[in-house]
Amino acid sequence: MGRKILLVEDDRETANYLAKGLTQEGHSVEQAANGQDGLFRATGGTFDLVILDRMLPVLDGLSVLRALRAARIETPVLILSALASVGDRIEGLECGSDDYLVKPFSFAELNARVNALIRRREARVDPAQHRLTIGDLEIDPLARAVKRAGKKLDLKPREYLLLEFFARNEGRVVTRTMLLEQVWDYHFDPGTNVIDVHVSRLRRKLEDGFEKPLLHTVRGAGYMLAA
Amino acid sequence: MPTTLRIALLAGLLALLSNLAVIGFIYVRTHDEALADLHRQVAEQSKVLTDVYRTGGRVALDDAIADTVAFGDPQTAVALLAPDGRQLQGNLAEAPAMRSLQEGERSAVLRLRGQPSPQAAQVVVTKLHAGKWLVSGRLVGEGLAFRATLERSLLLSLIVAGLLGLLCGVVLAHYVSRRIGNIAAVADRISARDLSQRVPLSGTGDSFDRLGQQINAMLDRITRLMDELRLLTDSLAHDLGSPASRLRAAAHAAAQARDPAEQEELLGSVVRNADALIRILSTVLEISRSEALTGRSQFAWFDLGELTAELAEMYEPLAEERGAALRVQLADGPVPFFGHRQLLAQALSNLIENAIRYGSAGGEIDARVVRHGKEVLIEIADRGPGIPAGRRADALRRFGRLDSSRSDEGAGLGLALAQSIAHLHEGELVLDDNAPGLLTTMRLPADPRQQPR
Repeated sequence: MGRKILLVEDDRETANYLAKGLTQEGHSVEQAANGQDGLFRATGGTFDLVILDRMLPVLDGLSVLRALRAARIETPVLILSALASVGDRIEGLECGSDDYLVKPFSFAELNARVNALIRRREARVDPAQHRLTIGDLEIDPLARAVKRAGKKLDLKPREYLLLEFFARNEGRVVTRTMLLEQVWDYHFDPGTNVIDVHVSRLRRKLEDGFEKPLLHTVRGAGYMLAA
Repeated sequence: MPTTLRIALLAGLLALLSNLAVIGFIYVRTHDEALADLHRQVAEQSKVLTDVYRTGGRVALDDAIADTVAFGDPQTAVALLAPDGRQLQGNLAEAPAMRSLQEGERSAVLRLRGQPSPQAAQVVVTKLHAGKWLVSGRLVGEGLAFRATLERSLLLSLIVAGLLGLLCGVVLAHYVSRRIGNIAAVADRISARDLSQRVPLSGTGDSFDRLGQQINAMLDRITRLMDELRLLTDSLAHDLGSPASRLRAAAHAAAQARDPAEQEELLGSVVRNADALIRILSTVLEISRSEALTGRSQFAWFDLGELTAELAEMYEPLAEERGAALRVQLADGPVPFFGHRQLLAQALSNLIENAIRYGSAGGEIDARVVRHGKEVLIEIADRGPGIPAGRRADALRRFGRLDSSRSDEGAGLGLALAQSIAHLHEGELVLDDNAPGLLTTMRLPADPRQQPR
């Protein structure tokens, strides 16, 4: 499932570290070291994803992003930035990026987001029309109904949203910050394990009385829903 | 050139120029009127004499001239000249040269009979029958004399006006520079590192007072920011010290460890400590941003009640796990609010996390949204140990963590961040006694856009 990724990052050390990791994950990575070069490559080539640093020489990341969107290039863009404040994150997302990751970050976090973005691009069919099935778990997004082995599970609205997000990223690692951003739409780092508590509640409802675990903890990264 | 002198000179110059304009106007008008008078008199006299000649002939004219000389104005100059220039009748001491005679009005220099010297005159020369000439006019000496007097007094008044203007300028400049001097003196002392100085106000509320007030308000804010900054740098250096040294110790131990499992454990600790450092730094950044009032461009309308309910729902399982019931009590109906939803969510989550962290033992935590006049109050109340009244101000300060032995990093910044976000919305964070426990209230103006800053 290797994909073409354009990495626009001026810090050589970070760029090499990321390129190495992404290549090991099976992607082919093209690099650009400044905004102008990045914009040139992004408009010229066909990429599945652009990873764009926000502070770049020659042309800054947000300008590159605006230029891309103005040229109707809809390639998913993941912004990397040392600007960590909530306002900066919102600004980055409002400029048309698909995700915003604050430096410093773990490679596991980046990898999880890269996979989610690539997956989202491929699943462009209207998601609400389709039932999601993971092993013996069945999710009906229209009715917001969940069954496991034919037995109806009683989930609270937020628990349902959490599960649907896991299901749409089936087999992929989902990090805590991804959950906070995508399921709750908050863009700050909570100082507690509030997300873990929700996940373990959901897990109890999914797994209590069943033999096979569905919701797995991935150490040092997050969680994964897989049969 | 000092400002005082420049203002004085400018005022003097302006007074001089305006006086010059008035005096010039008077001068031109009187000059023109005197001349017009003279022309009229001369023309009239000449016309009368010519008419007399036309109706009564030479005899009548001779009589008329004799009468004019005998009984008329002593300034009158009149003469009937023969074609060869001889004076037949009149009061000229000597006849003008023949070749200078030409019909029409003109200026001339004449000496009257019985007078010592020739004088300037305005005359009309008319050619009569048989080559005779009638010269009729007036000496202008009297008019000239009047003009000279006028010119002298005008010049004098110009000098007086200039001096008065200069005097006014000096008084004005002195007043202005005294008022400005007060402000400048304060600015000087502030430049010399004494920020406690303030501009003295006259109490009249004039522009100088307003300027002074604005400068004082600016100084108050600068002083407050300086104090905070000083405290912040001190605390930052202090509080970053312990996680940084823990980080160093863990890294050192990991490098020394032989057992791979132990090494992995220690490396995990390195990452956790690094994350804690990063969290402190980014929270400090967030506080500075909010205090600098950036982020207002991202304000939008949303329902404060809904946000509070959503956050309570998010934290309810965590509170339950720690043994406390988190309850929500909302105002009737939606509470529309114009603000930064994400930052307020962060502020409220900090308050709720604080209540869970320190107040869970009390068993109950309440989140309330209350409409109170022109304010909206968001209250988070716990039944924990609370904070003694004397230490509440400390708790709101950056790094004002009350129990320095506690090691959950960044906890000392939660309340400070919530307060700075309240400030961003023209609001305030207030800590109070929940008897027992802590009552944290975020007071927000119902519509922050209407609040003057």
